[in-house]
Amino acid sequence: MKTVALNIISSAKIYAPQKIENLEEKRLAPNMMMRRRLTRNSKVMLYLSDKCGFNGGKIVYGSCFSELEETAKIANAVLEGSMLSPTSFQNSVYNTAPSYFSLINKDTDEIITISSGMKTSLDTIKTAALQALVSGEKVLCVAIECINIKNIEEINKCTKFLEAGVAVVLQVAKDESHAKTIESLHVEGIIDSLQDLMSVANMHENGIDKIKVEL
Amino acid sequence: MKSYINNYELHCNAGNTAELMKAIYAKKSAIVEDETFLADATAGLGIMEYDNIYSLMKEVVSKVLKSSNLDNFQNTLLVLGSSVGGMQECEEIFYAQKSYKAINPNKLSMNALTDFLVKEFSFYDSRAISTACTSSANALLLAKRLIDVEAYDNILVVGADGLCRSTVMGFHALSVLSAKKCRPFDVKRDGMNVAEAVAVLLVQNTKTDNSIELKGVGASSDAYHMTNPNPEALGAISSMKDALSDAGISCLDIDYVNAHGTATLANDKVEALAVEKLFGNSVYVSSTKAITGHTLGAAGALEAIVSCEAIKLGFIPPQTGLETQENENIKVNKESVKMDIKNIVSNSFAFGGNNTSIVLGACT
Repeated sequence: MKTVALNIISSAKIYAPQKIENLEEKRLAPNMMMRRRLTRNSKVMLYLSDKCGFNGGKIVYGSCFSELEETAKIANAVLEGSMLSPTSFQNSVYNTAPSYFSLINKDTDEIITISSGMKTSLDTIKTAALQALVSGEKVLCVAIECINIKNIEEINKCTKFLEAGVAVVLQVAKDESHAKTIESLHVEGIIDSLQDLMSVANMHENGIDKIKVEL
Repeated sequence: MKSYINNYELHCNAGNTAELMKAIYAKKSAIVEDETFLADATAGLGIMEYDNIYSLMKEVVSKVLKSSNLDNFQNTLLVLGSSVGGMQECEEIFYAQKSYKAINPNKLSMNALTDFLVKEFSFYDSRAISTACTSSANALLLAKRLIDVEAYDNILVVGADGLCRSTVMGFHALSVLSAKKCRPFDVKRDGMNVAEAVAVLLVQNTKTDNSIELKGVGASSDAYHMTNPNPEALGAISSMKDALSDAGISCLDIDYVNAHGTATLANDKVEALAVEKLFGNSVYVSSTKAITGHTLGAAGALEAIVSCEAIKLGFIPPQTGLETQENENIKVNKESVKMDIKNIVSNSFAFGGNNTSIVLGACT
């Protein structure tokens, strides 16, 4: 199998049991009309990319459930026979968060969105590795789950953090020397779909700045 | 390493691949005017005959495997593109139970479809991509790049989306849904038709007698608006230019643009402008969504198959539903054109300003 060595340029993570506070929306999305339309995933995405010092380029975004709040709003509106919000519908697609990033940062580069269940963040890393290899550029690799919706306890059996996100900026390394395979450095209570990328961010925090990824 | 599309099959409202191509060349739209999805309005929809999306995927994937040079998919990567994933089944449970309790979260997510196929066919590995209406076009983009870098020899690309009440009502809420059969590029077009399909292509690094080459891929973001395309068509032009560059060919080498052509006012105006700016009137242009409707996340894969068939059959697909062309500076062909087709650009555009173009060509 083909492997790629990647330098970890920067990393950031954030999570909260219910709702992540102080995502610095006013600074990161100064236009009020735009800010009012942002989904929770979009706000977390803007925050993490800023913390990583990334303001443009190729993005690979991962989310197992993506815009669950907007999806729930639509389903409840259908059930109640009320008017569907056009904004909720346009915000319900899985590429909403990176698309808002592209709008705000005027980033016209490629966006790929991965949704591979509980291996979402691993596949997001693999896809980011491919994009980094093909382009030779820095790639933002970010995975987010915001599942803090009304009645979530009816189905949530796996996570105690209802909002969580993690991001790393990756670039192809010149060689594989000293590159580490991804260690299991999970954060307990975080949904499994984010754990592989959490591990990479934790490796970076521990001083490891080069990883090896199988495509 | 070159990428070849060696086998494919689909199922949509017009039937399988052969039946769809027959409908395209006969200009026989398979859109129906449905009164069951919307309480207060008629919707033009592309509705398939099938039991459920899972069994249909199994059937279509089995046909591709049987026609291929593979015994199984154990050394094959599955890359699936979908915009709704397992939503079709889950939303019906929610509407019936009025609660989330009976919903299996693993069935809600996008990879519900890949999980099913991996269990049925034992793929080496899988990825699920969801970039709305460019999902399966982006699956083809990744497949080509993975073969380019020699990571895989065989990649099965699946585009699959079933009709959901929420998507039909959502597009209705956006006021882009036509009550009738859609009319891409017509001055009197009044919107799109939501539709469903399963489209499957086997992409390999080896050429067969039946191969079509996946020559180039390109992608861009508009960075303009969540649902409206950049009015100067910069994103669409960029994705097409990148696909041509990746293919190592120029605009002059393209014979036909299989347009995204949803028949919304915004898309067709901007896509026509993009084609005009890039190709002038040197290429034929048409949208086969007039036959199939817009199959959302499956559209890129479905229209890649249509493009492969057009090359093999030697006929440019005609534009069904066109009476008066809005942009007369491009060459939208009302009738089939017989020609030796060398290269085709197929476009897919999505919410968020996500643009993907692919170049398919005859093998030389």
